[in-house]
Amino acid sequence: MDYKTIMCDVLVVGAGGAGCRAAIEASNHNLDVIMLSKELLGKAHTAMAEGGYNVSLGNVDPDDDPETHFKDTIVGGNYLNNQNLAEILVRDAPQRIFDLEDMGAVFDRTPEGKIAQRTFGKQSWRRTAYASDRTGSEIMVTLTEATRKSSVRVFDEVFATRLLVTDGKISGICAVDLKYGDYLVFRAKSVVMATGGAGRIFSVTSNAQLDVGDGYGMAYEAGCEMMDMEMIQFHPTGMVKPESAKGRLVTEAVRGEGGILLNNKGERFMNRYYPEVMELAGRDQVARSIMTEVREGRGSPDGGVYLSISHLPHSIIEFRLESMIEQFEDAGVDIREEPMQVSPTAHHFMGGIKIDENSGTNVPGLYASGECTGGVHGGNRLGGNALADTQVYGALSGEKAAEYAKETTHLGVNREEIKIEFERLEAMLNRKEGISPSDARSELTKLMWTKVQIFRKEDEMQYAVTELRRIEKEVVPKIKVDVPVKRFNPGWHQAMEFVNMVTTARMVAEAAVMRKGSRGAHFRVDADPNDKGYYNIVIRKGKDGKMELRKEDLVITKITPP
Amino acid sequence: MAKTIKTSVQRYNPDSDDAPYFQEFDVEYEPGMTVLDALLYIQDKFDSSLAFRWECRGGQCGSCAVRVNKTARIACRTKVDPEENLVLEPLEKMPVIKDLVNDMAQTTYRIRRIRPYVARDKQPQHPEIIHAGEIEKLREIRKCIECSACLSNCPIVHETWDYPGPMIIRQIARLELDPRDVEDRVAMAMNESVYSCTTCKMCTDICPKSIDIPALAVELLRAKAVESGYPLAEGQQAFLDSIKETGRAVPVKDVPLLEELEDAEFFVDNPRGRVVFFTGCLIDYRMQSTGKALIDVLNRNNVDVVVPKEQWCCASPAFRTGDLNTAHAAARRVTEIFEDACKKYDCDTVVVACAGCGKTLREDHRPFIEEERGEPPLYKVHDMAEYMIQVIGKENIVPPKGEIKMKITYHEPCHLGRGQHVYDEPIELLKMIPGVEYIDDPYKNRCCGAGGGVRAGNRELSQKIATTKKEYIEATGADMVTTECPFCTIQINDMMKDSEMKVRYIPDLLAESYRKGEEN
Repeated sequence: MDYKTIMCDVLVVGAGGAGCRAAIEASNHNLDVIMLSKELLGKAHTAMAEGGYNVSLGNVDPDDDPETHFKDTIVGGNYLNNQNLAEILVRDAPQRIFDLEDMGAVFDRTPEGKIAQRTFGKQSWRRTAYASDRTGSEIMVTLTEATRKSSVRVFDEVFATRLLVTDGKISGICAVDLKYGDYLVFRAKSVVMATGGAGRIFSVTSNAQLDVGDGYGMAYEAGCEMMDMEMIQFHPTGMVKPESAKGRLVTEAVRGEGGILLNNKGERFMNRYYPEVMELAGRDQVARSIMTEVREGRGSPDGGVYLSISHLPHSIIEFRLESMIEQFEDAGVDIREEPMQVSPTAHHFMGGIKIDENSGTNVPGLYASGECTGGVHGGNRLGGNALADTQVYGALSGEKAAEYAKETTHLGVNREEIKIEFERLEAMLNRKEGISPSDARSELTKLMWTKVQIFRKEDEMQYAVTELRRIEKEVVPKIKVDVPVKRFNPGWHQAMEFVNMVTTARMVAEAAVMRKGSRGAHFRVDADPNDKGYYNIVIRKGKDGKMELRKEDLVITKITPP
Repeated sequence: MAKTIKTSVQRYNPDSDDAPYFQEFDVEYEPGMTVLDALLYIQDKFDSSLAFRWECRGGQCGSCAVRVNKTARIACRTKVDPEENLVLEPLEKMPVIKDLVNDMAQTTYRIRRIRPYVARDKQPQHPEIIHAGEIEKLREIRKCIECSACLSNCPIVHETWDYPGPMIIRQIARLELDPRDVEDRVAMAMNESVYSCTTCKMCTDICPKSIDIPALAVELLRAKAVESGYPLAEGQQAFLDSIKETGRAVPVKDVPLLEELEDAEFFVDNPRGRVVFFTGCLIDYRMQSTGKALIDVLNRNNVDVVVPKEQWCCASPAFRTGDLNTAHAAARRVTEIFEDACKKYDCDTVVVACAGCGKTLREDHRPFIEEERGEPPLYKVHDMAEYMIQVIGKENIVPPKGEIKMKITYHEPCHLGRGQHVYDEPIELLKMIPGVEYIDDPYKNRCCGAGGGVRAGNRELSQKIATTKKEYIEATGADMVTTECPFCTIQINDMMKDSEMKVRYIPDLLAESYRKGEEN
């Protein structure tokens, strides 16, 4: 199998908020940095984040400080967060938002000309910085501008398939150029994984099509420890119709700006569940409240509930929620006048690659940042903490990867391993008989959506685990691309992604079965009351190739769980 | 049975195909379906190797721009019309990697060339104080998601990459508007041929974020250039000097309409309405017969027409090229003249027959006057065709009876369609004329190349755009092309010099039909 080898010092896999930030940081160290992007530069899922960036600047509520941000993050995370990591998040968030401004970001302002901040769920103060309801886009555009200023070499539409590890240390990756179908090996002294989440393993999701868990799959295979994989955030408000828009995000900013949730009787039902905080309860809490209304027959005709903002003046809606107006206009709804129909949608992975305070993994030379990591957000992520995470840990991982690269040389790579990897990818094209990736995918995403969802049950999850083990054994090796063309072939792209989806889904389901009580986003209808749940579940690939799960003590620095 | 949409998709794999070809698919229609849904349907049901880009499906990432029935748009926010077949092609001007996937490298290099980031000469203090007012305009043009659809539709980019296209000019303006950026973006804009834009507004029309690039970027940068002392092209400056001196953008040739008309009042018995006629420079000085035709047509439809004898140029050439002093002086003067006329004759409607003037009165004068004195001009502005169809009402129009047996197509002036949202009215008028066989031109809304100061400032480029337009018009097989703008008429007449194609102004054609009908 022919391939080309490309050399660099630091390799960043992924070009969203964390990846771009890591690459820019590493390039500031006068190193040769390559950033791989599965999509075109600037199109990453970060651009779809709407609401904002949490930072305790105290521009609106002067009493806010990192300490309070920390406390809110830990309480919101149901105490499962790695408190070291959460401390770094709140400590560095202010400097990182200033970095963005230095690069050219345009956030909305207070009357004094400082960065404006608004209310988001489960936060003690108005803390969420924003640019209307296109904050992620603002950040992505800024990082794109900054990347174009930097010396980072961007390889866009290049898909990483396998991490290469030599003598236990990172040495490079195998990849495919999606444009032309060429096989590429990138050899680097250090690698940063910034591959985002995997909402797409569920049939209803707010995530872009690229979020299939590539990073989880690759890291697991490379021997990385993974944690909290059972903790999936279902965002309470996704679009319900039209069918093709199902799951699209309806930003928390709608509720932050005063939007209210109503059932089909016109009742403001959050009053029944969380009367003190109402619509601004935790995302997991609001999601379950909505689903309870729907299950008990008080939902809207299309299977959701109503979210109404029409009591606010048009001018406020137009200034602060402009994307929402546009998004619902396409669905024939004028949110200035009518309520939206919403229901929960798979949104964010709190879990992921386990990292330390240097953003490093258990594989030397391999760093990770952003949604593909676990530990920062615990059992439930606060709205607005994800964008902050991308910047804080993006910069940290870039810096540490650069420092590591400066002290090391390129390791050799195992060419036999590379050959086997590319033969695996080639085989999908050459198979005479097999299973189409699109069928396999829809089976998987439906399974996950119905069996490992918001309300979880032992037998359903067991069923999912059994099915996923079967899929891994029987379907994955038989994936067959319909048209055997390597040049920009979405059928092949889907086929290559599928194995990562299966590995990710398995980690989610296996960990969910292991956690017998309810905690954070993991909610069991058959919860064991004796399982308080104050532990993390860590997963790694065992020496025999089997998935190994174990419980680990929480990392606590300041706040002890009740 | 579910409705199916015939969808032709351009296929091309340069590894194995010598040329692109079309493949047809039957797509099952569902209400609310987008072009992206249609593409995903084809990929799922017929061919998983069909190449197109998409990510967010919600108009936020800008990956999925393709040409939909000849116009580039993002697929995820373009609704499928159940009554129409779909033709899907890759973006124009950029090489194809496969099927609907373009190679964006050219665009990326062009973006990099303008140093597309905030350049600072010192480290800022934190927190950096920036007031909302300073970023108000910037915030508006910042929404771009780089889908590149505007590059594919731009008539200038179509002719030459000398012009980097709307998306990139917008980025220069975004940086010019940023109080933190220290680069000379005006010099950069000049270097990037900012005077090539005809302000046709095609970019705004298809922009998923509706960014008014001609006004917020092109005209803004031009105004800054004029302010910084960059000279305008000779041809452009001549117009402006003439406006300042005479109130007309062009010199007198034959007896002007306003001199020729003996009276200001063209009143009828039992009028259904009364309007003031804003002639504009070209109808007054070059197309006197069109002016008379308009008065005639309106009178025949029982509308009183007032033609103030003292009129002034709307100063469109000044607004378009960035000479804001001349532009604003004219806006004040025009407002005064027409408010006085409306008051004197007790009416509130001004009718124009020039797309450029109408657009300028509506989109430029109105906000400027409102900002300056807190109240917009006290009159409404209507294009003549719009007035007839919308105000008089189609059912009330006296039907023209004289037969004009011809195949007739229509060129939609940019500043009438996209400038004033008058799209179908002129065509409806055409179709009322007996004998007319109307032929629709899928490219009818493409620029003729005259506007934005390009004809005056860069005749060679203007001619290139016109030549492309000529090809579109001739491809319809019509005998005559009609339009509703004197500037377009002059430009199209020029390009059709050696052609059999006749060029007419709609009021002239209507008046002719009325006259013929009377003779019989």
